[in-house]
Amino acid sequence: MDKFAVLQFYGLLKREVLEHKNLFIGAPTVVALLILVATTWVATQIDQNQLAEGLRYVSILFDGLSPFDMAPFFMLVAIPFYLTLYVCSVIYLINTLYQDRKEMSILFWQSMPVSNFQTVLSKIVAIVLVAPIFYVLIIFAMYLIAMVWLTILGISNDVDLVGIGWMFLAAIASLVLIYISAFVTSLWLLPSIGWLLLFSAFAKKTPLLWAGGVFILVGFLEDFVFGTQYLANWVASRTSDPNQYLIFEFQSVFERIFNYDTLFGIVVGSILIAGAVFMRRFTD
Amino acid sequence: MSNIVEAKSLRKNYGNFTALDGVDLTVPRGAISGLIGPNGAGKTTTLKALIGLCDVDGELSVAGRDPRIARHKLMEDVCFVADVGILPKWLKVSQVIDYVEAVHPRFDRKKAEKFLSTTDIPKNKRIKDLSKGMVTQLHLSLVMAIEVQLLVLDEPTLGLDIIYRKEFYDRLLNDFYDGNRTIIISTHQVEEIEALLSHLVFINKGKIVLDSLMSDLPDTYAEVIVDVDKVAQADALQPIYIRDLLGKKSYTFESVPREQLEVLGELHTPSVADLFVAKLKEEKNG
Amino acid sequence: MKDLILRNRYTLLIVTLVVYMSVLVAEGMVTGREVRAIEFENPYFDMNFNELEKFRERRSNDDDDDIRARFDDAGDV
Repeated sequence: MDKFAVLQFYGLLKREVLEHKNLFIGAPTVVALLILVATTWVATQIDQNQLAEGLRYVSILFDGLSPFDMAPFFMLVAIPFYLTLYVCSVIYLINTLYQDRKEMSILFWQSMPVSNFQTVLSKIVAIVLVAPIFYVLIIFAMYLIAMVWLTILGISNDVDLVGIGWMFLAAIASLVLIYISAFVTSLWLLPSIGWLLLFSAFAKKTPLLWAGGVFILVGFLEDFVFGTQYLANWVASRTSDPNQYLIFEFQSVFERIFNYDTLFGIVVGSILIAGAVFMRRFTD
Repeated sequence: MSNIVEAKSLRKNYGNFTALDGVDLTVPRGAISGLIGPNGAGKTTTLKALIGLCDVDGELSVAGRDPRIARHKLMEDVCFVADVGILPKWLKVSQVIDYVEAVHPRFDRKKAEKFLSTTDIPKNKRIKDLSKGMVTQLHLSLVMAIEVQLLVLDEPTLGLDIIYRKEFYDRLLNDFYDGNRTIIISTHQVEEIEALLSHLVFINKGKIVLDSLMSDLPDTYAEVIVDVDKVAQADALQPIYIRDLLGKKSYTFESVPREQLEVLGELHTPSVADLFVAKLKEEKNG
Repeated sequence: MKDLILRNRYTLLIVTLVVYMSVLVAEGMVTGREVRAIEFENPYFDMNFNELEKFRERRSNDDDDDIRARFDDAGDV
């Protein structure tokens, strides 16, 4: 591929990260700090002997087992981050094609040789592939701090450190799982991403209200015109089950992506994303 | 192709408001063209149409491309500076340079930094913390470091003090303009740019009311301070504009032979500002 | 036609939504989709954390006596 095109796309992604530092880095950092503070507080409330006993138990539990087999335990720790990423993604997607129109800087962005397709693509890649990198790095930093703390606790209580090492490996393996989970979930929710982007590019005011309002309206219209509820059913089936968002086993990644429902979602999501790309020509 | 901009019967409506009502415009390469008009005349709409930031009906070709279809390709050859600060306020100065360097294939970072070093703009500050004059200086520094064919300026010096304004146009002429590049400037502060223009375009109510080479103006337009006893004679020559001037009357004529005017009184070429008022009043009176 | 769709943000929105809904409704009719909630298997959500030892036994290799031994030892501490 053209070297300049790669650098250009990197420039577009960097712009997104700089503009949305709070969503990409700030929010997960706060969550990590909260978890660390909460854990420390809980640890101080427990009897030290019990704590050492628990650590010994866990250390033996992880010892010698494949980190990839044990990684799912740490997925539970990741759930608060997951929810944060989810909320931040919605905020990001509904604002990203709206904010620059509101503050007029769109005239600057559009006066650069970047196509509307590149712009929209960079925004999707930023939230789907780049944001989770920051989340994973911050979770890693959190684990690192916890690891140091557990090691000190382990040494002072004569716990087998090898087991703690295995646990740390499992924690790191879970980071890979978290990243893949976030990506697969994004593919699964691509129609929602497209819907938010379309209204972010469309609305002159209150894009979230437009996105929600038109969704309800279209749902009613479908019921009225066709007497069916495919839209409502479809969305319900895509959001109701938390199992859709978390992957606990590496083996299931392939089937999670290459199944009929995910692929069909990618197709219809692309229709909405194409709409957002064309909508981008309206700069006011 | 000798014309960098060719536009024919451009039309644009915003609801019931007609922003452009059949604008015909050609700008030759190497020109410095001034687009002059009152507020709401269609200046900004015309300029935005030229760079594909606004959809219009009609025929349009800029640097050999249709801006409505190929905006991002066109932007490799065209730069745009607008009246309001359009640089994103949350970016730092150094970050905006990084961005342009990354996305624009014809940007010369060294050049931009050289321009910036002659200003007081601190590189680690956010754009929202700069004064309006500094933001314009910054934007101009970025734009001048890009090897483009056409520079479109929409009221670039609006709201700036006289020192910034003067410096802005000096730089434009000395550091950017090389005889091959084309500049289109829109403004309603005519006096300031009069001296640097090669072409003059007046726009009012979405229509072009004058399109002329600056050097052709003296042949077409004449202002005569008419003595009181010759007023009737002057009226007969169908002036486009009459104004009172310290007890005498000043008549502006279009395409009337000089010999006929010389007998009326003191003859000279009207200033662009006077001509502008004359043409607008002419429109109004039909 | 293309101009008509692209020159107005409202027509563009409506056309996009109509295409989207047509595909969705057509697919629904073809596949006979009613409330079709997709069930994903996730054994970990059903797991009882009081039964960690059983889990470990299931996961660990039965031949790996060394680890088993250490696990058993730990129970006596």
